[in-house]
Amino acid sequence: MMIDRRLIQEIDWVLLGLVLLLALVGVVFIYSSSHFLPGGFHTRQLVWIGVSLIALLLVLAVDYKFFVSVSPYLYGLIVAILLATLVFARLVAGTRSWITLGLMQLQPSELAKIVMILVFARLFAEYKGATLTRNYTIGALLVAGVPLGLIVLQPDLGTAMTFMAIIGGAFILAGLRRKTVVVFLLAALVIGIGGWNIGLKDYQKRRLTSLVNPLEDPRGSGYQVIQSKIAIGSGGLAGKGFMHGTQSQLRFLPARHTDFIFSVIGEETGFLGVFAVIALYFFLLARMFLSVAKARDRAGVYIIFTASLLIAFQFLVNVMMIIGLFPVVGITLPFLSYGGSSLLTSFVAAGLVLNVKMRRFANV
Amino acid sequence: MPEDGIYEDLTLVRRRANAVFIAVAVLVFLVLSYYWKIQILEHGKFAGLAEANRTRMRVLAAPRGLILDRNGVLLADNQAAFKVSIVREGLKDLDASFAAVSRLLGLDEPTLRARVDLRKDLPLFEPIVVADGLSARDVAPIEGRRLEFPELVVESEPQRRYPLGTVAAHVLGYLQERTPEEIRARPELRTRAGEMVGKTGVERIYDETLRGVDGAVYEVVDSLGRVRGEKARQFPVQGQNIVLNIDKDLQSIAEAALEGREGVVVALDPRTGGILALASYPTYDPNKFITRFTPDEWLQLMTDPLSPLENRAIRGLYAPGSIFKIVMGVGGLGFGFIDPGATVYCSGSTQIYGATRHCWFPQGHGAMDLDDAIKNSCNIYFYKLGQRMGIDPIARAAGRLGLGRPTGIDLVGEKDGLVPSSEWKMKALKEVWYPGETISVAIGQGQLQVTPLQVAVMTALVARRGRKMAPPHLLLADGPPEDGGAGTAAAGEPQFNASEFESVIAGMWKSANDGGTGKGARVEGFDVCGKTGSTQTMSRESAAALKRAGREVKTHSWFSGFAPRVDPKIVVTVLVEFGGGGGATAAPVAQRIFEAFKRRLEAK
Repeated sequence: MMIDRRLIQEIDWVLLGLVLLLALVGVVFIYSSSHFLPGGFHTRQLVWIGVSLIALLLVLAVDYKFFVSVSPYLYGLIVAILLATLVFARLVAGTRSWITLGLMQLQPSELAKIVMILVFARLFAEYKGATLTRNYTIGALLVAGVPLGLIVLQPDLGTAMTFMAIIGGAFILAGLRRKTVVVFLLAALVIGIGGWNIGLKDYQKRRLTSLVNPLEDPRGSGYQVIQSKIAIGSGGLAGKGFMHGTQSQLRFLPARHTDFIFSVIGEETGFLGVFAVIALYFFLLARMFLSVAKARDRAGVYIIFTASLLIAFQFLVNVMMIIGLFPVVGITLPFLSYGGSSLLTSFVAAGLVLNVKMRRFANV
Repeated sequence: MPEDGIYEDLTLVRRRANAVFIAVAVLVFLVLSYYWKIQILEHGKFAGLAEANRTRMRVLAAPRGLILDRNGVLLADNQAAFKVSIVREGLKDLDASFAAVSRLLGLDEPTLRARVDLRKDLPLFEPIVVADGLSARDVAPIEGRRLEFPELVVESEPQRRYPLGTVAAHVLGYLQERTPEEIRARPELRTRAGEMVGKTGVERIYDETLRGVDGAVYEVVDSLGRVRGEKARQFPVQGQNIVLNIDKDLQSIAEAALEGREGVVVALDPRTGGILALASYPTYDPNKFITRFTPDEWLQLMTDPLSPLENRAIRGLYAPGSIFKIVMGVGGLGFGFIDPGATVYCSGSTQIYGATRHCWFPQGHGAMDLDDAIKNSCNIYFYKLGQRMGIDPIARAAGRLGLGRPTGIDLVGEKDGLVPSSEWKMKALKEVWYPGETISVAIGQGQLQVTPLQVAVMTALVARRGRKMAPPHLLLADGPPEDGGAGTAAAGEPQFNASEFESVIAGMWKSANDGGTGKGARVEGFDVCGKTGSTQTMSRESAAALKRAGREVKTHSWFSGFAPRVDPKIVVTVLVEFGGGGGATAAPVAQRIFEAFKRRLEAK
């Protein structure tokens, strides 16, 4: 399938530029926080950016309507992969969420997010009612529930949470009745209480309690948040300078190049750096969200909206989590955190937004 | 997939999407505000925390000051050693740590656990010393595995060393780790946990001087406590050196002379009050418990029936026996009870207060004046003198010569001794004094109790013909020796006139040089003046019973004297427990000291 020259002109280069800029900022601070470790994380991240960019361009080459139409097969495939992961994957850090493909390691749960976006776009493309009916709600929950359940079983709480963002986003768009909201809140309460007492592992409980009082267990789960807050707070206005952050360079900061990359930015570049990166992010999110107006059809609106919300949700949770406003749930900062699967998912999500936006004129 | 076409009405979903975006935008703004709060408003607090995170202060122990004798011979110095501490903070498995340490250091686990338990009340971040006095070789296995055992801290530490071993052990004292109770009780001293402080002797009384000022290194550490650099270093300042009046050679001779017995030798310079030698036997090697952990040897010394840790010179209480006749003589003359030339006839025994009292020389000494009575240590003369004086003038004389109260030497734990008086008896026993009791006191028995050091000071006052003397002291003060300066041994007491001593001194000279009881102390050409004493350690009746049974009755044996007769330069007091007659046992010991001292004088 060749891309029309006109279509290329329609690509939102600003949005793509913002994505690449954020990814490169990420590489810079991955270098700062991990250059003293073996493994060449910054180089690997650069390779992953290349791979993700190619994936993004491939996504652009195919009309999103095709993806939406094949989404049931993709859904079947990803459920199978998730099942296989659960059965065959090695236990790493207490979870079975990684599969090895040759040299690469992938988290199928990350790719499942993309599949969910497409499946929901298909599910709601023909839904024209002002608000959601009960049957449709239940149906959508069942569709989402299978992969979500498999991910919870891994267990990967962070990814499961981002699923909620996709599901919630789609429901909001379709129109939630007051009664449905009440039912959801009640269900959340019941699942919350039940989950706390039955489902949650001790480490997960500790993470939640340490959010309320990080000093309760300063060497355990509260430790990460305390060290991260110290890193960010000690950064001040202008920061301690690139590669001069004591918290990151002396390894007080946990998961520096992955989940806590933004703490490194906060420590080494201060509030100015934090402001700049958040501003970049804000422009990106604005550009993505406002693209909803450019979508040609309902499926496009859902794709742009859920993809944007996915990025926005992960971004917000991450920057709140590292400063103690949210439990440490292992959600990466899209585009900036080290990690191939996360990067690939974020790029593909952005690619879907670009895809819908560039094909806004019908029948080209 | 059906084509919806471009005319589909999407306004509703678009409005909802916009609303959500506005919510996201608001959230982004709120998050940014929170970052402002943390990074700008609370920057100071977090900057401080970051700084505290990465810097660790390590104390550099200051070497203690040296202790030297009057000729500059080293009595105490320091050697390089290592200690290993354990930091419990952040330690998940203390037992695993114990197992590792015990393997690496060859200590058994219960001992190790006991050491940590002893100090378990300390804050978790305070290192607890578990082994010390180690060589570089001992700690090499730990240093090599720092990454594996970040909780173990190896530090070098100057360790006290007493190069001469047992020499002057009681004078020098020893160090011990300050206990947590002591640290809590006296926070103003700001002692660290694990710091060694002087427990007895000079080490204790001059601890502040000797201790010096600890330094510190402020190190940059990473999250595992590994040192990554140094921010600042404050070098420790060694404690000040201390020079003692002790003459190491005299001290060694004194200890050698006492070897194998229990006893005391005190030698002091009557011109200054400086202690030239102070030996207490049996003794111990302070190097043996320089480390923090020697419970076995320590207990052994503590429970030894001969109590080698006790400094008998200041803590041993003995009846002065015939030595007290010096006090009697000086008092009798001073208070006008006798004339130097007046004689008393000794027939070997006499009747006083209805009881028969014997002289030690059953044949009798014949007519005795004061100097002959002292020379021969005639009991009858002093019985009569005591009868004439009564207890209270005797007590007054003893007080003027420094008996019955601490001498004020620069050592801790000095005993008072006891000089009985009618007032004392009324107060202590609620009874009146019976004149018969005075007779025992007159020959230095009864309730009289003195320390050997008090006897030495008393002798020094006689040697000085009653001029006041600075308290005996170990510390050799800078500048010219003070003569009769502030803080005299007989502070507050009037002193006898110089002329009242000459007769007594004449008797003491004869005792050593004219065939008297002290002839064993005689040194050719040194004019030793001295007095012997043999103290009964049990009642006269039981002693007589033992004698009848054919058993040997051993008495404590005394000698106290000075030399030369004119312008005395040294006082020597010797006590040998169960040594028998003073002339036979104590005097020869004193003679060795006098002789050595004379040789030193001549060599100069």
